[in-house]
Amino acid sequence: MFATLLTLIGRRLLLSILILLLVSVLLFIVLRALPFDPAAMSLPPNATLAEIEAKRLEMGLNLPLPQQYLIWLSHVLHGDFGSSIQFRRGVLGLVTSTLPATIELAVLAMLIASALGLAGGLTLFHVRGTAKEPIMDLGTVVLLSLPEFLWALFLILVVGVALHWLPFTGRIDPNMRLPVTTGFLLIDSWIAGRPDIFKSAVEHLILPSLALGIAFSPAIMRVLRSSLIDVYQEDYIHLARLRGLGEKRILLRHALKNAALPTLSLMGVQFGFLFGGTLLVEVIFSYPGLGNLMVDAVRNADLPIIQAVGLTYCIVVLSINTVVDSLYLILNPKLRLR
Amino acid sequence: MPSRPLSFLPTWLRSARVLIGIAIVSAIALCAIFAPQIAPHDPNEQNLLSVFLPPVWMQGGDPAFLLGTDSLGRDVLSRLIFGARVAMLVAVLASFGAMIIGATLAYLAGYFGGRIDALIGRAVDVWMSFPPVILSLILMVGLGIGLRNVILAIVLVDWTRFCRVLRSEVLVIARKDYVAAAGLLGFSHWRTITSEIVPATIPLLITLMSLEMGVAVIVEALLSFIGFSVGAQTPAWGQMIADGRQYIYDSPWNLILPILAIFLAVFGFNILGDGLRRTLDVRVSAQRT
Repeated sequence: MFATLLTLIGRRLLLSILILLLVSVLLFIVLRALPFDPAAMSLPPNATLAEIEAKRLEMGLNLPLPQQYLIWLSHVLHGDFGSSIQFRRGVLGLVTSTLPATIELAVLAMLIASALGLAGGLTLFHVRGTAKEPIMDLGTVVLLSLPEFLWALFLILVVGVALHWLPFTGRIDPNMRLPVTTGFLLIDSWIAGRPDIFKSAVEHLILPSLALGIAFSPAIMRVLRSSLIDVYQEDYIHLARLRGLGEKRILLRHALKNAALPTLSLMGVQFGFLFGGTLLVEVIFSYPGLGNLMVDAVRNADLPIIQAVGLTYCIVVLSINTVVDSLYLILNPKLRLR
Repeated sequence: MPSRPLSFLPTWLRSARVLIGIAIVSAIALCAIFAPQIAPHDPNEQNLLSVFLPPVWMQGGDPAFLLGTDSLGRDVLSRLIFGARVAMLVAVLASFGAMIIGATLAYLAGYFGGRIDALIGRAVDVWMSFPPVILSLILMVGLGIGLRNVILAIVLVDWTRFCRVLRSEVLVIARKDYVAAAGLLGFSHWRTITSEIVPATIPLLITLMSLEMGVAVIVEALLSFIGFSVGAQTPAWGQMIADGRQYIYDSPWNLILPILAIFLAVFGFNILGDGLRRTLDVRVSAQRT
């Protein structure tokens, strides 16, 4: 049984790798269609034409595109993403130093989205058929109409500017310094034994992760509600009632477990979107993660960064999807035996 | 539908949601079309003697500027009204474009199945592994900034929303008896798709279009927020938000009002889509679109 499960998961993993390769081809094509000359851009503005030409040869820009792609791919596979045009340092270092910030934000936001989604879904299911249903239903449409960047601005206005409760720029208080160990502030501050920095990091994380979490929760609420409604049509729910089980026990012990599977597979897709949503939230909160790096690179046409960061986003999204799909396989006994 | 007062209307209109949605969307559309007639001021007219005026109901408000003025003394109401033009233009053109591409591929994949389906399915997988925001940013790098390219980027990102949902619907319809009958009668593939399958998917298409228009408004707003959309001379909601954010302490209204405008437009499209989904009886979970 485990062997079949492993094969299924392995197949899923292979598919992800194939998709990632196709993604890299797409990325390469889009960014090569640009009207810029990467060689001229990587040299100082006073470079002579001969120097640019030499650089072009060095960068392999005279080769046919498929060959250029393979060269780029083999560099990438060796961990060489080239060097940034504006920062003049290795792109890989830039990405790995900003990725932890984004992951910290995204994970917290996912927890918030899941908690809100679970609570909201159960509430929506609870009020079905009552006078409250249409109002709550309208509420979810309102929530679905507010994307993360509007929540971000709204929270800044209310909690940050009007109430002065929480900070809304950066990752920690600008006066604090912390040696980088893992890049995750919440972990590093523990290692360094600095509860003050931990507190500051948490305070800075609350508003951005809340903006993301709230924006991505209504989809989860709705799917949980409709899966619960589907599950309640099943015979075993009636049977449980006939056996005299309490409604609460039926909901939490029997129905929720079965309704969780479709919800889980939606959450995979949602979390992929959520990870992309960090970009704007980071820009709005001046939060130094991948998103700010990306927008900065786009403004300055820093191609090596755009390529690497674009690929990083895809790798994270594909990993989330693979993990969620594997969880789905592990948790779903119907698929397991095939 | 218990709402008897609406029983004189055709079935698909007989829902408070659809009516509210149509009311909001047409109000915004009217603003967009008749902006020069409705707007009290030229949206770009600067009035440096009265900058950061609050809306008229606040202390210090000026009845000449109902919703106040921005950092350059431009009338916020007029800019909001003109901003509706960009939003509606993008909503209509981008969702139409995305529908054309997505629906065509979905019909091909669902009808022919096999290799064509696998190929299109793989393409959707590749697209879906990009978070939409990231893919649209990358496309903007490739295409260059400007409103036309914003529309193009939305089309190139969002066709998958139509393709995924519609494909599974087409799969079901293509296996129905009347479609098989069309094949037996010697209908060409083209005729079977256009006269048998497409009509059956129209309710779903309309619903998806409505939801996609809301998405397009959001994407345009966020791209103009980062400065990749219209130029400085054209008022757009996202740009107004970017301006308002810089002067958040001087005048929060400059930030709140465009946020409300975007919310209202998106809510209008969503509630319309949600209502149509119910009255047209199509099974789309909003989150999967």
